[in-house]
Amino acid sequence: MPLAHPLPPALPGFEHVRRRWDDNLGTVNARILPGELYVTASDEGVTTTLGSCISACIRDRVSGIGGMNHFMLPSDGSDPAALKASNLSAATRYGNHAMEHLINAIMRNGGRRENLEVKVFGGGRIIANMTDVGLRNIAFVRHYLAMEGLQIASQDVGDVFPRMVAYFPATGRVRVKRLRSLHNNTIASQEQKYIESIKRQPVSGDVELF
Amino acid sequence: MTMNAADLVHDISGLVTLPDVYLRINELIEDPNSSSNDIARVVKQDASFTMRLLKLANSALYSFPSAIDSVDKAIAIIGTAQVRNLALSLSVARSFAGLPNDLVSMENFWKHSLLCALSARHLAKLTRRCEPDALFTAGLLHDIGELIIFNRLPLQAKQALLTVLDAEGELPIYQAERATMGFDHSAVGGELAQAWNLPALLKECISHHHNLVKADKHPREVAVIHLANIIAQMAEIDSTELDDVEPIDPKAWEVTGLDAEVIEPIMRAAQGELAEVEKLFLE
Repeated sequence: MPLAHPLPPALPGFEHVRRRWDDNLGTVNARILPGELYVTASDEGVTTTLGSCISACIRDRVSGIGGMNHFMLPSDGSDPAALKASNLSAATRYGNHAMEHLINAIMRNGGRRENLEVKVFGGGRIIANMTDVGLRNIAFVRHYLAMEGLQIASQDVGDVFPRMVAYFPATGRVRVKRLRSLHNNTIASQEQKYIESIKRQPVSGDVELF
Repeated sequence: MTMNAADLVHDISGLVTLPDVYLRINELIEDPNSSSNDIARVVKQDASFTMRLLKLANSALYSFPSAIDSVDKAIAIIGTAQVRNLALSLSVARSFAGLPNDLVSMENFWKHSLLCALSARHLAKLTRRCEPDALFTAGLLHDIGELIIFNRLPLQAKQALLTVLDAEGELPIYQAERATMGFDHSAVGGELAQAWNLPALLKECISHHHNLVKADKHPREVAVIHLANIIAQMAEIDSTELDDVEPIDPKAWEVTGLDAEVIEPIMRAAQGELAEVEKLFLE
């Protein structure tokens, strides 16, 4: 069978990310999981599903190079609202790494810092009666971006639902779809697995996991 | 061995049972020699049901001009057939508490069911020859098959949920269930309705709310539950965008004579009523 929708070339370092044609979106679509990121210079989408995790969607608004990350901070029992990205705690290391990795990948592929456009999604409180880890992740990403001098162009964060986010770096368009509570536990257990994996695998040097 | 919808229900009949008060009211309604006094006597023997029935009758859901302070008055105003529906509605959450699962919290499950019940009640008021209280019960029960699937086939149910997420959320859960296990929650719910010998209206709404053409005796009611289910999904995610939820079968508008203008006011009304009915139905 001929391939009706060939995949555009992946940038170096992103060849392993799962991509496929998506009829609903009408583009090739890279799907990232908690802890992953995808940066592209082509006309294709990046999607993910967020519970209490955060995705930053960043692009060079002139060249269209951009991408998305997906991360959360492991809990350390600190006050969510008082979280500062500058605290060099074990928790914030993962967030800092996820953000730096995304921005660096964009710049390494020709993006320019002064052209960066940033959008932020996620941080929902999808499990009742639990410390609001979503709020903590939101506080972190806002503080990180403020320290970097990057403004948030648009955002849909917090509240009680999970979200499906589709981002198109070439145009900057984002489609955020809120998901029914039917999916809360499935998404929460994916995020839980991710958080356990980063606890076992501390950040060091230039590893892919963060 | 692969299971079918009927096997699943056969398997749980000992775990989930209809409330006694419902069964006894049901018997009396079917008996031509019984009177509403007999029904009132049965209701009064169940103190917990009596209390919740009176609370409900006096809630904003009914907004009767005067206080309803006795079972006899409640039955006279609400009607015996509707008291039977309420006997089912008011205890169904309790009946299914014996069927726990790890996939969806009971609170979230019943929240969706209540939003559907409330939306169905409003839709019924706007639709000719539809009984709002019967449609409320149908709305509350429409997804009951899910609880059976989640409890009895947790691995397949989880696979179906992952399939929906992997499809960028455009795939309705019932389609993922069919792909994963060969049947969906409406078939399982229908089998339970059959086993419980529920009234035909409830059985059809539970069995066919995702497949309107199958509705036989109660196409209008089934169409109302189809619409109410989708309005409930919108209420849950607080969105008025039809693109955010599964598609509405145009036949539902045709059969009910309603149009999409009704969606937003009904969604807002259901959201506003949820807190009060949650207390009555889930405690």
